[in-house]
Amino acid sequence: MTARWTAAVAFVGGVVGWGLYSYFVELSHGMISTGLRQIGGGGATWGLYLVFVVYVIGVSFAGVSTAALVRLFGIRSIEPLTRIAELLTIVAVTAGALSVLTELGRPLAGLKFLPQFARPASPFFGTFTLVETGSLFASLVYFYLGSRADAARCARSSTRLAWLYHVWAAGYRGTPAERVRHQRVSFWLSLFILPFLVIAHSTLGFVFGIQGGRPGWFSALQAPGFVVLAGASGTGVLIMLAAAARRFLGLEETIRLEAFRLLGNFLWILTLTYLYFMVVEEITATYAASRADMHVAHEIVWGTYAPLFWTAVICFAAATAILFLGFVTRRTSVAWTVVAALLVNVGAILKRFLIVVPSQTHGMLLPYPEGRYVPSAGEMSVALGLFAFPVLLYLLFAKVFPIVPLGETSAESVPPEAPAQPEPAALRIAAFWATLLTGLTLAMTGLLLSFRVGTVYYADPVVPFSPLIFIVGVMMSFFSAAVYETIPPPRGR
Amino acid sequence: MNPEVRRYDRAVSEAASTSSQSRRAFNRTLLRVGIALAFLHFGFRKLFGRLAAAAEEKLPTAPEKLGARSGMTIDLDRCTGCGACVVGCRTENNVPFFGPTEEAKGTGIYWMALLPVGGSGELPEHGHADMLPRPCMHCENPACVKVCPTNATYQTEDGVVAQIFDRCIGCRYCQVACPYGVRSFNFAEPQWPESYRSYINPDVATRPKGVVEKCTFCGHRLRDAHERAQLDGRMPRDAELRRLPACAQVCPADAIAFGDLNDPASEVSILASSPRAFRLLEYIGTKPKVIYLGKDRRRT
Repeated sequence: MTARWTAAVAFVGGVVGWGLYSYFVELSHGMISTGLRQIGGGGATWGLYLVFVVYVIGVSFAGVSTAALVRLFGIRSIEPLTRIAELLTIVAVTAGALSVLTELGRPLAGLKFLPQFARPASPFFGTFTLVETGSLFASLVYFYLGSRADAARCARSSTRLAWLYHVWAAGYRGTPAERVRHQRVSFWLSLFILPFLVIAHSTLGFVFGIQGGRPGWFSALQAPGFVVLAGASGTGVLIMLAAAARRFLGLEETIRLEAFRLLGNFLWILTLTYLYFMVVEEITATYAASRADMHVAHEIVWGTYAPLFWTAVICFAAATAILFLGFVTRRTSVAWTVVAALLVNVGAILKRFLIVVPSQTHGMLLPYPEGRYVPSAGEMSVALGLFAFPVLLYLLFAKVFPIVPLGETSAESVPPEAPAQPEPAALRIAAFWATLLTGLTLAMTGLLLSFRVGTVYYADPVVPFSPLIFIVGVMMSFFSAAVYETIPPPRGR
Repeated sequence: MNPEVRRYDRAVSEAASTSSQSRRAFNRTLLRVGIALAFLHFGFRKLFGRLAAAAEEKLPTAPEKLGARSGMTIDLDRCTGCGACVVGCRTENNVPFFGPTEEAKGTGIYWMALLPVGGSGELPEHGHADMLPRPCMHCENPACVKVCPTNATYQTEDGVVAQIFDRCIGCRYCQVACPYGVRSFNFAEPQWPESYRSYINPDVATRPKGVVEKCTFCGHRLRDAHERAQLDGRMPRDAELRRLPACAQVCPADAIAFGDLNDPASEVSILASSPRAFRLLEYIGTKPKVIYLGKDRRRT
């Protein structure tokens, strides 16, 4: 296992390094080394990097959402996969943040000016505050709270990293009171994280859907379509990760067949829903739409982009068929479920490409030349590096911490006679409410100030770094859950 | 009973006896937190108000606050498609030229572009195509301003869609949002060969790679005209604005006019009310302020 792991890390690390090198070459020359063009020059100005951004952030949606659904509805069969799912969101959002930076013409300026001047009226505000910082932090809190029990276990058995696990566990002792508290916090955090994630990912759909001047993009279905395809592709990645963990870590008893059956069912339902969305989009764009809308739709289905489109449709349809067959015959095969998951993800990447590019090359309303977008070799190297980066993070994490929860984390480990009253914990409750209320106040204030309340729309916010205040407020609101769970009870009681 | 549960049970019943004490302590803490938050709230409102007042005072006063609405008319009947407006604009605004290879690839920057309408746009049919000079429309309801994440592109009160190049992070959202495709991205660092350096206009900042740029209605010239007029205590006259932008100045056919659309006596206002007047993509709702005058078909 170790030799295989080392080889995998070396290979993936090499791809990441190659991507990093290509990116620095691109930074020094400017984006002229990519295949991007002026949008009026017969090309696309948003290309592979943005495709990767929307794909990977979409994948991140399914991670914590699955974990949250497990906690809310007590779905026992997928319970061993919660840590993999939570980690999926964390690494995918991190990769998404990096890819947003590669997409910018001036990434360092972006890091400096976005927290300072960002405007909520722009959908990108949602991408960089809610998705990148908000859902990343929320997922980190969620993941951390769920991992404390295992950290405490690792602290007892490990020697080399014992100091790390002690800090990680933060005084977790596994008492029934702590477990009841964890259940309660998980429930409420799950309840709030889900709508938060849906809103965050809808803003990514709004980036495209609200633009009236872009035929092929202007559609009410963009936001819901984003969320559905995000769910489908993310569930697919989760299936592939679960299968990998099961195979390479020998976890056949922990990650059972039921998990794949359930996830497989999620997957075909979501993929079928997305195929339905594609049909609706197609009919709307071709029935009595404007000339420009019809032209873009025609190019996608029958023209330049037809090979990509039909490959995506076949991938989705084949995946649905495989999983539906398994559902109807009540037979689950891990291998076939993984094949279906892979097909869905290939289809998702192609479909994201079809969302981003054709409207730019063939959807100009004024008579600009039509063209094509072909990513350059440098672009593809950077994109591969971005793809490899989350894989590398996963491999490294699996070495340091158990990828599957070791002990019982469900509420049934606490006997039913245990009273549900809270322990005497004035400090904890006060600290929790103080953190939560301060966080919500900061978030609301930061948001209003970023909307340029108190000044004119074309000026800078009245308080500098208002977007940062908003982000800090969101983070504090989620952090209050950690405050509630980790503050130890008063001594002697 | 499970010993663990018994211990827990005992602890809770012990705690219950002291719960009234802890309740009072809790209430006290809550009261203190509430008072602190109230202080924060009122203090913040005061700070807010003071900062807002200061921000209002710092805003520039001309030409935005003077009720002007900058617009342009382009008479397609007079336009010969010579391209002088494109060259004049490039020279005035230091628009970089990357070389024929890059231009052919489609990464060239055009603040003013000539779009072929009708005809295939390729020789020898080119002669049948009409040329449409296309600057930035400076819309009253601009899509690009709405989507800019950092407020690097904004709208002045006289309706000019302006840019803070230094703040642009190069996300190109404004470029894809513009229905007219007027914006260009600096894909490479502009090079200024020795022979070109004497042409660089010191009044206009050059842009680095990674930012988006577009026609500014020669905002630097507009501000200059307003400042000169204010020295005499007046607004610029229409004659001073008529050929203000570089494209209007160099057009040999005098097809481009610039001025204040809010002034009913200005040439742009009079031309804008012509029966030949139309705007591009009116149905989208961007309310462009560049008004075209269609070809007079009676003569051709």
